[in-house]
Amino acid sequence: MTTTQSQSERVLVIDKDTARSALLEQALTDQGYAVVSRLHDTEGLIAQVEQIRPDIIIIELDSPDRDVLEHMATLNSHIPRPVVMFAESGDSQTIQKAIKAGVSAYVVDGMSPDRIQSIMDVAAARFREFQALRNELNDVRSELEDRKQLEQAKRLIMKHQNCTEDKAYTAMRKMAMDQGKTMTQIAKNIISVLEMLN
Amino acid sequence: MTLLHSPILATPEKIDLTLGFLPLMDCAPLVIAKEKGFFSDVGLNVQLSREGSWASIRDKVMLGLLDGAQMLAGIPLASTLGLGSPQVPMVTAFSIGLNGNAITLSHALLAEIDELGHDPEDTSANGLKQLIQLRKANGRAKITLAMVYTYSAHSYLLRYWLSAAGIDPDNDINLTVVPPPQMAVTMKKGLIDGYCAGEPWNSVAQEMGIGSPVISGYQIWNNCPDKVFAVLESWHNAHPATHEALICALIQASNWLDQPQNSDEALDILLANAYLGPALSMLPQPVLNQGNRLFFRYAASYPWRSHALWFLEQMQHCNQLQDNTDLHQLACQVYRPDLYRAVASKMQLPHPTIDFKPEGFHDREWVLQGAAGAVTMGSDLFFNGGTFEPRRQPC
Repeated sequence: MTTTQSQSERVLVIDKDTARSALLEQALTDQGYAVVSRLHDTEGLIAQVEQIRPDIIIIELDSPDRDVLEHMATLNSHIPRPVVMFAESGDSQTIQKAIKAGVSAYVVDGMSPDRIQSIMDVAAARFREFQALRNELNDVRSELEDRKQLEQAKRLIMKHQNCTEDKAYTAMRKMAMDQGKTMTQIAKNIISVLEMLN
Repeated sequence: MTLLHSPILATPEKIDLTLGFLPLMDCAPLVIAKEKGFFSDVGLNVQLSREGSWASIRDKVMLGLLDGAQMLAGIPLASTLGLGSPQVPMVTAFSIGLNGNAITLSHALLAEIDELGHDPEDTSANGLKQLIQLRKANGRAKITLAMVYTYSAHSYLLRYWLSAAGIDPDNDINLTVVPPPQMAVTMKKGLIDGYCAGEPWNSVAQEMGIGSPVISGYQIWNNCPDKVFAVLESWHNAHPATHEALICALIQASNWLDQPQNSDEALDILLANAYLGPALSMLPQPVLNQGNRLFFRYAASYPWRSHALWFLEQMQHCNQLQDNTDLHQLACQVYRPDLYRAVASKMQLPHPTIDFKPEGFHDREWVLQGAAGAVTMGSDLFFNGGTFEPRRQPC
């Protein structure tokens, strides 16, 4: 049995994106850290942080709540302070990497730099992974959207010109080539024009 | 429209720049410099990066992810001292305008003050003081007021206003930080009783019918400074010509912004999605110069070292500084009017030739003694008749 388990850092994750923070919680738990709480709604943030008393807070870099946390830290030495303060003692590469991934951390005095680094590395990796997933999802979504519009435009032409699917498609391709536009742009134009006529 | 002279400047060391801003009205000089081509006129290719918090702006500038940024005037001073951040010296050679703030109290709190027979026309915090004493005597909870950031003009204006009525901001009330777009909503939920923030966040409370401005920042201190454009000192040393080009473009943009005929166009540009659109979408009619906000007039963009000293003295009053901090040396190090003057000379623009000016002595426009060309200044009174006379030692 390990003795470090009982001294495990109390991690608080503040992230309005619940899917991302769930992913991060799982990753941290796998590494043996205790995520004591996840906040996505930060109303009453000060009271919550005072009650939870985390050793480390992982928060989205761009979160407006960082200004709130930093003010708390000036009033109360038990409140975690910005991790950049510890850049001298720790590994500034880690902090750079985290910031580029959109993560920032607040830690209490006396936390070991190794532990800070390890938690931040996990957080940065998850944030990056999540961003990649989101980009991929957006690509798939817009591809689907494009296809839906092509279909709709084609059907509108078929109805309007009373022609076959092949003819409608050929007409659209010709328009795209003649006007130097993409098929998606042409589809959008057709939809807006023909819908107005109908 | 009055265009300023476009000078011939040295070739910038770095052309592709990223500058940070927060979606507030006074990001205008940065946005206008980009959109009206003032940056490209001086050979710079600038990307603007919308940030979510002052902490994020500070971190990204410190780590070199941003070349420079809009900042609250207290941030370069605090960063140079290592207050709440690593100690990384910053400099500013450009002030982003004057005024634009106000103090708003909730209608619930104002009703309590009214019950005490307080004159509603009185802009002092005397009524609030009375209420604080009464609440204390009755064993009721402290009043909570919010500001936008620890080291901000809002914080020091609020503290100045409270202190003038004999209220101790650190003990008699709770002072907290709330991001500006959340101010009015937080007050509506009863979590805060009032706040000091920039416009339009005071008008928002009024429109929501939950609070009213009791005094504007302009009334507390006529033509008070608020934000700056700052870079790392090391960045400035490595890119002096780039910095000069940036200052030149920002001066052009500020001059353009203060011309009344441009204000509609300025708002159209600012309200685009990339800038203030999402932040201000709830406002029926945003106004650029609300709260007497000025960008260029009255030497508004000049980085007065006496302004730095005023902020530093306020920081000292609220025990944010160590006892041995040399305020004068710090004002000289962080505020760089010499850099502004060098650019203004090349632009043949009238500008101050002095670094320090007293405050609280002018109740109307006046002409600055100590200027190259004619520089008209605005009034500089404090609401309580206070004065500020910085020692004019050379730097």
